[in-house]
Amino acid sequence: MSKGSSNHAKLEVTNKLLDLQWKMGMAVSSDNCRSLKSPYVALMLKVADQSGQITNKSFEMTIPQFQHFFKQLKEMAAVIETV
Amino acid sequence: MQRVQSRFRPAGGAGTSPAFSAAIAFSWREAEQSVAMAGELESSKPLSGLLNGLAQSTFHRHSGITEELLRTQLYPDVPPEEFRPFLAKMRGILKVKKQNYNERLWDFTGDIHSIAYADMDFNQLEAFLTAQTKKQGGITADQAVVISKFWKNHKTKIKESLINQSRWENSLKAMNWRVDLKSQSKHFEQINVPVAIVELELGKNGQESECLCLEFDEIKLSQILKKLTEVEESINTLTNPA
Repeated sequence: MSKGSSNHAKLEVTNKLLDLQWKMGMAVSSDNCRSLKSPYVALMLKVADQSGQITNKSFEMTIPQFQHFFKQLKEMAAVIETV
Repeated sequence: MQRVQSRFRPAGGAGTSPAFSAAIAFSWREAEQSVAMAGELESSKPLSGLLNGLAQSTFHRHSGITEELLRTQLYPDVPPEEFRPFLAKMRGILKVKKQNYNERLWDFTGDIHSIAYADMDFNQLEAFLTAQTKKQGGITADQAVVISKFWKNHKTKIKESLINQSRWENSLKAMNWRVDLKSQSKHFEQINVPVAIVELELGKNGQESECLCLEFDEIKLSQILKKLTEVEESINTLTNPA
C-alpha cells in the first residue's frame, strides 16, 4: 500500500537518516551583485546506507523552498499517522 | 537638457530603418521632442529587445545570444564596429559580464555603479539614469526611459538569477515521497509498520544531480519535524525581529 506524491512505486535502496543539522545563512554580496541579501537554510544529513557506511549529505534551500520542504514533511506525518 | 552626442552613426543614408533613424534623431536636442513623440514606440523597440537579449544571455545564462545576433535582428543597419561600443555601453549600464572570462566589459571609471550590481531601487535608478543622460557619450532621455521600464519589469527575475548563480553548494532540485506499509515479522507475528520513503534530488549548478533516498518511521519523522520547527522559528525571528 502506497500513498503519497510519487507517481511510481520503485524498489529503491534506501538510506537511514541518523541525524539532521541545520543552519540559516545569508548571502550578503557576490561579485555579480553587491547587495544580495538572500537568506537560505542549509541542512546536513547524516545517513547510513544498507551496509552501515555513514556519509554526510548537505544542501541549501531558499526560504520558500524550505517552507515547501517543511510542508511536504508535515503532510507525510499526517499520512503516516492515518495508515 | 544637455545635448548628448550619440556614437551611433548610420552606415549610409539610404536603407536606414525608421527605428534606427529615430534612435539617432532624438539624440539631437532640436529634433528630440517631435521625434520622441512620433517615434517613441518604434525607437524603443530595438533597445528593449537589446536589453532583453543581454539579460537572457548573462543573467539567465541563455546561450546562443551573440553580439552578431543582436545586431542583425535589432540594428541591422549598423555596422559591427559601431554596434560594439553601443552594446558595451548598454552592458556597462546593466553591469553584465560577458560570458568569455577574458573579456570584461564593465566599466570601473568614475562613479558608475551599474544597475544590477547595485540592485538599485527606483529612486536610485532615476538618479543614476539622469546622471547618465548628462554625461558625454552617455545615453539619451528616451533610452533612459526604456532602460527604466526594462529594469522595473525584470528586476526580480534578474535578482533571482544572480542569487542562483552564487549558490555553489547542493540545492534541492526535487522531492518525492510516499508512505509504505512495511511488513515485519516478529516472533511469528506480522507487524505492519508505516514508513515514509523520500527521494531527494540534490544537485549543483551545471552538474548532474544525485538522488538521495531515505526511509524513516513515524518516530524519526517527528524528530525531524521538531528540528524543522526550530528552523521556522529562526526564520520568523529574521523576518520579524523582536
